[in-house]
Amino acid sequence: MASTQGPTNVLIAKSTLISQGAEAAKNAHETPLLIKHRFSKGYRHKTLDTNLTKARVAGEARALIRCLRAGVNVPGIRMVDATEGVLGIEWIEGTSVRKLLPGGAEEEEALDEVTEDLSEDEIDPLKEFGVSVDQLMHLIGTEIAKMHLVDVIHGDLTTSNMMLRRSPNNESDLVLIDFGLSYLSALVEDKAVDLYVLERAFASTHPDSEPMFQSVLDAYQNRMGKEWAAIKRRLDDVRLRGRKRSMVG
Amino acid sequence: MPGRLRKPTPLKNPDRPYIALGLEGSANKLGSGVIKHAEDGTTSVLSNIRHTYITPPGEGFQPRDTALHHREWALKVINDSLAKADVSIHDVDCICFTKGPGMGAPLQSVALVARTLSLLYGKPLVGVNHCVGHIEMGREITGASNPVVLYVSGGNTQVIAYSRQCYRIFGETLDIAVGNCLDRFARVINLSNDPSPGYNIEQGAKLIRGRRLIPLPYATKGMDISLSGILTSAESYTLDKRFRLDGQPRNAEDTDIITPADLCFSLQETVFAMLVEITERAMAHIGSKEVLIVGGVGCNERLQEMMGVMAEERGGRIFATDERFCIDNGIMIAQAGLLAYRMGQTTPLLKSSCTQRFRTDQVHVTWRA
Repeated sequence: MASTQGPTNVLIAKSTLISQGAEAAKNAHETPLLIKHRFSKGYRHKTLDTNLTKARVAGEARALIRCLRAGVNVPGIRMVDATEGVLGIEWIEGTSVRKLLPGGAEEEEALDEVTEDLSEDEIDPLKEFGVSVDQLMHLIGTEIAKMHLVDVIHGDLTTSNMMLRRSPNNESDLVLIDFGLSYLSALVEDKAVDLYVLERAFASTHPDSEPMFQSVLDAYQNRMGKEWAAIKRRLDDVRLRGRKRSMVG
Repeated sequence: MPGRLRKPTPLKNPDRPYIALGLEGSANKLGSGVIKHAEDGTTSVLSNIRHTYITPPGEGFQPRDTALHHREWALKVINDSLAKADVSIHDVDCICFTKGPGMGAPLQSVALVARTLSLLYGKPLVGVNHCVGHIEMGREITGASNPVVLYVSGGNTQVIAYSRQCYRIFGETLDIAVGNCLDRFARVINLSNDPSPGYNIEQGAKLIRGRRLIPLPYATKGMDISLSGILTSAESYTLDKRFRLDGQPRNAEDTDIITPADLCFSLQETVFAMLVEITERAMAHIGSKEVLIVGGVGCNERLQEMMGVMAEERGGRIFATDERFCIDNGIMIAQAGLLAYRMGQTTPLLKSSCTQRFRTDQVHVTWRA
């Protein structure tokens, strides 16, 4: 196939793999550039896979551009090749929010005995950025609200998909990343589900996350203004979804 | 920070062999099994007997008839399992039964049997969550230590990961379960319910593997999925004028046709791709490399294959079991019940009721670190 010699593939060949998420492998290039390569998923039927990959690369690029225009902190776009499933985006020098919060640094590989006295002398990773947990939550809520105000739905909001970086004026700002499942929608339903996904991600990764998530919502509410009431109502509905819940009380 | 500590397992090796009898009857399978936990910490399955209530093609199982089936077969199945295990009911340490979730009437008939046995022989009762039973048996059989669990059956579809004494649900179906979706479609195209409708769909899909993927909705929503629309969409293809129930073209020009096998294949490919995708997302999020498939749909080889490919692409491993342990059985109830019993949990008679609504994350998992 001619495509294996294409410029996109040359670029991938020159880069180094840094991580493999659920959707794509990320390769760092020599010039600071993040290449997100959605390689073909072997488990999926070819037709289904091609359609999904194309739609998601294009969708990701579209959502990023819309966010950039509205001033939401997201990585800038450098290149798009939807047929190859490749997206080149700005390299963000920062740390994943998941690693900055309690419980998030825990890796599955950690064995039973090794981690025993690790937590004692560990310094708070947040100090480095000069923000408190509460301020961080505030940043998260505000960024999500800015994104929802331009009707972009992220689709996969987790603490792994947010990064904290030092901006040039020495303040820390929060960058939303990984728009692979994002889409455009003005519906209250979609915004509420987006928040609910984040709420569950908090609950499953970080112990005692309720107050944290509440301050995310507070900041979100501030920024959303009058749209909040409807979203709040829907969020309460969404929380009741799922099967086999006890309907008593 | 307490979240970072990983304590050694709280479950000590038993001081003597423990034996538990497990009774399961939350859907159309009635199961009875005897399990033994030895002093060295090993577990052995002494017996695992099951009897399935099979309805004619095109029909599902009604709660009332299913309960009747369980009542008729309970004594025979329990006696068989004790005889096969070569233990007397007097040697059993506890009697475990399914507390929920499941169909009300069948659950109640089996719980009644459990209570009767408990009173007759003076044995403590342990009520078990059906989903936790599946997970614990899957872990025991495959040896997976801390996997992401995909639990797929006729009544449940959940992606689960363990964290702090609780099996947390990462993603689940918002409407019908995947087994329900497949079974109902099997009934639409009149496939047999023997041994199970899902099995016959799998065989149908194998006939024409890779030939034609009929477009169906692909509905993932956050970490969750929705399946009822896909079922409707697949059903509507059977009313399409290109649909041929016998799978044969009418004449030489009749090439653009949709056969039941095409639909079985497309339905499987689409819903399984969705399941694998949400499982992969959970694995990426918590950084786990192991995935365990449990539940009745878990014996589908195509699903296991797809999950295997996904795990391999991520450098991980897949754990799956065969129909003996995937499909509802008594032994898994005995396993989860005995773990709880060894941690000192029993269910007093007054609290031995069952419930149709009992979520996986409501169980306090004391036996894991």
